Order: sequence, then structure tokens, then C-alpha cells
Amino acid sequence: MAQPSSVSVVDIINHNNNKFGRSKSGKMMKNKPRNFPRSGDKKGNKIDMRMKKLFRKRARDYNSSDDDDDDDEEHHEDKEQEQEEDDGIHATTPHHKDFESEANSEEDEEMGDDGSEDEDEDEEEDGDNDEVQPGITQFAQGSRAFKMAFMKITNKTVPDDLLGPVLSGHKKLIAEKLAEDEAERKVKGEAKKEKHLVGEKGHVKPANFLDSHEKFLLGVATKGVVKLFNAVNKAQNAQKGLNPSRFKDAKVLGKRRKDAFFTELRKKPSLATDALSKGTKSTGSEGDNGPAWAPLRDSYMLTSSKLKDWDKLPEKNAGDDMGDQMSRDSSSDED
Amino acid sequence: MARMRNRKKKVFIKSTVKKNQQQPSVDHVTGDKIPKSFVFSRGKLPGSLRQLQNDLRKLMLPHTALKLKEKKRNSLKDFLNVSGPMGVTHFMMLSKTASAPYLRVARTPQGPTLTFKIQEYSLAVDVAHSQLHPRCPPEIFKNAPLIVLSGFGSGEQHLKLTTIMFQNIFPAIDINTVKLSSCQRIVLLNYNKDTKLIDFRHYSIRLQPVGVSRRLRKIVQNHKVPDLRTLKDVSDFVTSAGYGSESEADEEAATVSLTSDLGRVNRAATKSAVKLQEIGPRMTLQLVKIEEGLCSGGVIFNEYGSGDGAKLEVNQESQKTDEVDQETDDENQEMDEEE
Repeated sequence: MAQPSSVSVVDIINHNNNKFGRSKSGKMMKNKPRNFPRSGDKKGNKIDMRMKKLFRKRARDYNSSDDDDDDDEEHHEDKEQEQEEDDGIHATTPHHKDFESEANSEEDEEMGDDGSEDEDEDEEEDGDNDEVQPGITQFAQGSRAFKMAFMKITNKTVPDDLLGPVLSGHKKLIAEKLAEDEAERKVKGEAKKEKHLVGEKGHVKPANFLDSHEKFLLGVATKGVVKLFNAVNKAQNAQKGLNPSRFKDAKVLGKRRKDAFFTELRKKPSLATDALSKGTKSTGSEGDNGPAWAPLRDSYMLTSSKLKDWDKLPEKNAGDDMGDQMSRDSSSDED
Repeated sequence: MARMRNRKKKVFIKSTVKKNQQQPSVDHVTGDKIPKSFVFSRGKLPGSLRQLQNDLRKLMLPHTALKLKEKKRNSLKDFLNVSGPMGVTHFMMLSKTASAPYLRVARTPQGPTLTFKIQEYSLAVDVAHSQLHPRCPPEIFKNAPLIVLSGFGSGEQHLKLTTIMFQNIFPAIDINTVKLSSCQRIVLLNYNKDTKLIDFRHYSIRLQPVGVSRRLRKIVQNHKVPDLRTLKDVSDFVTSAGYGSESEADEEAATVSLTSDLGRVNRAATKSAVKLQEIGPRMTLQLVKIEEGLCSGGVIFNEYGSGDGAKLEVNQESQKTDEVDQETDDENQEMDEEE
């Protein structure tokens, strides 16, 4: 407790060195860096002592008015805090770590003082005025003063008002402004909500259970998948054991596919109507006329040759108008 | 001036799209052209719709630009210019008006364009939240989904066109060469004749062996040591049925036999049950109109047209040029589409 406080005191003095001792600042500046790291330096020690005395004197002259205040303080308790706060600010000036105390005797005195300060408050002021110069406060004292001031502020009872402590002259104005803000915010919020609602239009969260419609859709999809898988199974079972990379097998495969294709072509019209009545399930697309295409037919719904033409022609002659195709197609359908 | 023009022309597309370009544009087995798509928005979208756009991109994987960057100044022409070299064949455009969000599906260079009003939609996140055990492994997005169209077979022209459009948006399947392990997702479009609404659903496909108790299936799948504390003998583990019966009543219809083994549990010898689980997004679409061109051209079909049938007939008699102006006027009144 005592150690840091004394350091700060000496430190401030040192700090003042630079401030006040401009006349011989050149020399001081040179000395300073050497001084701090090596505390045992005799020359530095000597100069420091001398400088300390000088500055102490100067500080006394400089702060002579403060002295008067200090005297008053004893009588007026209220003012004491102000002064102490002021001192506290001085005490918090940055200090160097490395600096070690040279003036042992002085420190001892101060240490003794510190002890007395903590114990009784009455003598505190006197002791301070005697030993510690005005404008120089010990750390402990400063922090205590700050504590007092802070306590005072926090203990103050504030009128329980919506606006808090405000100057009475502006009270009405401020209240008005707040009310206005509130109204504005409300309007803004509503507008935002509305916009959000518009944006969310059509967005539905699905139910946690499968309702009948969903079940129906699931059934349809499942049926489709099963149909496809069975078709695949049928087709691929037939060619099982044949390796398409072998030339012989590839030839057999090709022949088989071609046959299947032609048979499908022949029986197509009936199949198409059949498919339409059954409802649809399509696994492939129209455009490929390769041999791989045919077996797909029995599951491939909605294929009338005209429709196929409709989609195929634009691919062949890319410049063709789609609309023309469409109209021709539909008209031929009418027939 | 030159700089301005330059800025206008540029479409900001990140490298993911370039990767897309390096993807084969033709299926190496069947030789079919692989359709590719862009999913983007026209105009500014609210957050949930932007999420829907992301979900749709994920659904369209792998032949789509998942991280397509678009800017306000990108016009449709910009996308069109890029689509040629990239081999993009389909556009899916989301837009939003005061009344409802809209989805437009178009074939790229020429059209036609189908405009759907999105009556209701749920995001993939919402769907996952609604499920007890949501399942969405990233591997299932490595292959294109199957598509099942149901209820479109009423013979009406616009429905046929819708069918063809959606069939072509995903790569064709050759059942002679397709691997069943690559069929892991399915997109279902179900047309309801009465309400004229299309239900759009997206499911994941899973195969499970039939007649095997849940415990056994788990132990084969998971490689984990089972908890045998409560059992007296190892045979109990196999013989006790447990609660392994999962509503096998309707499974009879949903069983398939495989040609080859699929995974660790689905053997060719045994029968497997097809299990679907929704992954979302979910949409209820209403076909509003069909245009000949890419977001332009004559209107082939219009849901709100008062003399709908009459117009169609007139259209078919190829007196389009007179009709176009009048129809577009009508359409502007009827539908508050932006742009």
C-alpha cells in the first residue's frame, strides 16, 4: 500500500522535472534514461535529490492558492472532496515502473504518515498539509476520495420519473419528442409487418402429420417409382449376363433392342390411349429414337406422334417458330 | 458511354457455372442431350421466396447453376446470351407481385413459356421441420431426380405442353442402362382436374428389404454393436420381432425386386420396399398462361381469358398477329405481372 503511493509521489516530482526544469532540460534529458534503469547510480541520485527539493519549492509557490483552500477545507467538509478529486487526478499521472526509490528517508516519513491517515481522519488533513505538497496526492488518498464522491452520487435519490433527471424547463419538450418517437416507431413497425406479410404470402408451414392429400400424393409417387423399377428390372434381367463391352454381346443387345423398338412402334396407338386412361407416369423423354428407347414405351404416357413431332421439330430446324408448331399441332389434334 | 454499355452486357456468373460448362452436355451412355437449367428471379424477392429459389436450384441439381449470381441490372437477355454457350436449355424464373408469387418455366432460345401462379408453397426447411426424422443426405443431389406426372392425361392442349415441358427439364432415363442406385429422388407433379391445381412435390427414394426386422436392418446398415443387455441369448435378438413391423399392409404394392444388389441391405434375391420421404420444396401451382416465345410472343393459353376456348381456336387458325395485341392488353388487365 505504502510502496506504490510513495513511488507515485516521487514519480510526480520526476515528472515535473521535465515540465519545469526547462532551463537545464538538456542535461536532465540525458541523465534520465540512465537514471531509471540503474537506481544505484550515485550521480543520478544526487541530482535527483537536488531537483526534488527545487521542484518541491516551485510547486509550493505555484500552488500557493491551493494552500488556502486546504485550510478552508478543514472547516468545510463538502469542499474537501473536490480538492481531493483534484489531487487524485494528479496522482494518477503515469509513472515509470523501473524507478526505485532513492530518497529513503523521505519515504519512511511518508510511510509513517500513511499509517496514521488510515486510522484517524481528523489528523489526516494536517498531516497532508505538512508532509505532502499540495497538488501531490497519495494514491490511497485519491482512491478514497473518489470512493466517497462516487458513493455520494450513487446514494442520491433521483425523482422517479419517466424522463429521469432533466432540467425542468425542457421537460415538456422532451416528453413531446419521446411520444412522437414512439408513435413514429409504431407506424414504422406496422408498415414493416405489413410488408413482411405481403412477402410471406402463399408461404405455408406443412402440418406435422400426413393428411389424406399428402398420403395420396405419396402413393402416386410410390406407384411411379415401383413402375419404373419394375420396368428397369424387366429390361435389365433380360440382358443379364451379356456384357455390352464385348462385341458379340453388344450385337445381340442391339438386335434385341431394335426388335423391341419395332414391336412397340407397331402396337403404339392402342397403348397410348391405354396410358392416357390410366393416368400418367413418365420416366423418359421424347427426343431419343435410339434402340434404348422402345421398352420405355409401356410406361411412357401421353405420347401421340403429333406431340412428339411438336417437340422434335424445333430441335431439328432451330430457326423454326415454336408457335407455328404449336398451332399446327393442336389443329391436327382437333381432326 | 462505352463503359456503361459494357457494364450492362455483363452477366455476373461465378465459376460454378463454368464447371457446369465442363460437364458433358451429352449423356455418355445413351447419347441424349442433357437438359440444363438456370433458376433465377426477376425483380426483388422477399426472403422466403429467395429461399424457395435456392430450394428449386437444389432440386434441379446436378445440371443447374447452384450459385448463379444475378444482379438487378441483369435482363432476361443476359441470361439468354449466356445460356447458349453453357448449353442451358431451361429457365425457371421466380417473380413476385402484390397478389402472389409466380413461377415461369421456359425453354431457352425460343420458348414456350409456362407461367404458374404459386398458390401455396413450403420450403425444404419447413418440410424438414414438420418431420420427426428428416432425411436429406447430400449424395442424393448428385443425380437428377426422376419425374412422375400424374393426372395430366385429359387430352387438353396446355396440359400436354406442360407434361412435355417438365419431362424435358430432367435428363431422360434409359431403362436398359440406368443404375437404380442413381435413382434417389423423385419429383411429382399431380394435376387435380377439379381445382385445376398442380401439386409439386419432391421426395427422396429409399429401398428397404421386406420382411427383415428393423433391428437386423439397422445392424447391417450401421456397423454398430447392438445393445444386448436386456436379452438372455443372442438368438433372442434375431427371433424377437420387436416393433419392427412398419405398416406392412400397403407395402405389398410398393415392393420391387432388384436385378442387382443395391447397397448393403438390398439384395437382388430379396424383395425391397420403396420408401419415399419428402424433402421439399412443396408447391401448389396454377397454370395461368402459356406464351409462345420466351416470356413474349402470342398467348397460347390463358387461364383468366373469358373466351378462353374461343381464343385458342382463333389462335389455331393462325390469325395470331391480330390477336397478339388484343390479348396482351387483356392479359395486362387480368394478371398483374410485373415487367
